[in-house]
Amino acid sequence: MSQDLLFQQAIKEAVRSAYEQISAGGGEPVARQLYSEDELAEVTSGAIAWALGVGNPVRHAGLRPGETVLDLGCGGGIDTILAAKRVGPDGRAIGLDLMEEMAQRAADNAAEAGVGGWTEFRRGEIEDLPLPDESVDVVISNGVINLSSRKSRVLAEVFRVLKPGGEMCVADLTVEEDLPPEILTSDSAWAG
Amino acid sequence: MSGAMAERVFARKMEKAGFTGVWIGNKVPYGIEQAALYPLFTPEIIELMRRLIAPDRQASVAISVIAKAWNR
Repeated sequence: MSQDLLFQQAIKEAVRSAYEQISAGGGEPVARQLYSEDELAEVTSGAIAWALGVGNPVRHAGLRPGETVLDLGCGGGIDTILAAKRVGPDGRAIGLDLMEEMAQRAADNAAEAGVGGWTEFRRGEIEDLPLPDESVDVVISNGVINLSSRKSRVLAEVFRVLKPGGEMCVADLTVEEDLPPEILTSDSAWAG
Repeated sequence: MSGAMAERVFARKMEKAGFTGVWIGNKVPYGIEQAALYPLFTPEIIELMRRLIAPDRQASVAISVIAKAWNR
């Protein structure tokens, strides 16, 4: 049990450390692959710089005006901002990130993108969502669930905060063949 | 990437959490060249992947997917 907990903490620290070491973001080449020019025009250069997801969940989520959407692991806020634009000022977009500085960065980007009035950003863990039961219409995330060592817990938490009929729409990675052990045990490969 | 699940495991975990209507689609191969775009992967781990992963797998080490499910 204690070894397992240490393993979980080690993974969390590896992810945090990897993000701390890329102070400039560097996500623009990723953003150019995942988002259309029109979508990129809706967000800020700061959000684009931190676009380190693996897909485009907002494009696939059935977001409607007035809804409340939660973005797990919001990073620089690119998906939270796009979601905020879809739900509009009668809705609410909440970005959650493990790192306080990332949540602040996303808040700055949302304000610059003109959606600051109906977005909020919090530091928090996806395994322990700081939100009440049945309080969210849609949960999105982008390449984040695979970073957790407690995926069942994450999914249970998403289920808890979703309203009945609510939707989870996430982009993530799957694998069908094991990676070599040298890669599986690399901090960089856990964080990426 | 090291924490990525097999698709069937991901689907089963969503169902066990209580979700219905589980759908996994929009699948896009995610290879080493894609990973190299991300600053989260160090040059050393990219090089290790190029060396250790079989050439026929390098263009699809993982799959980027969209997963959807509902609380109802």
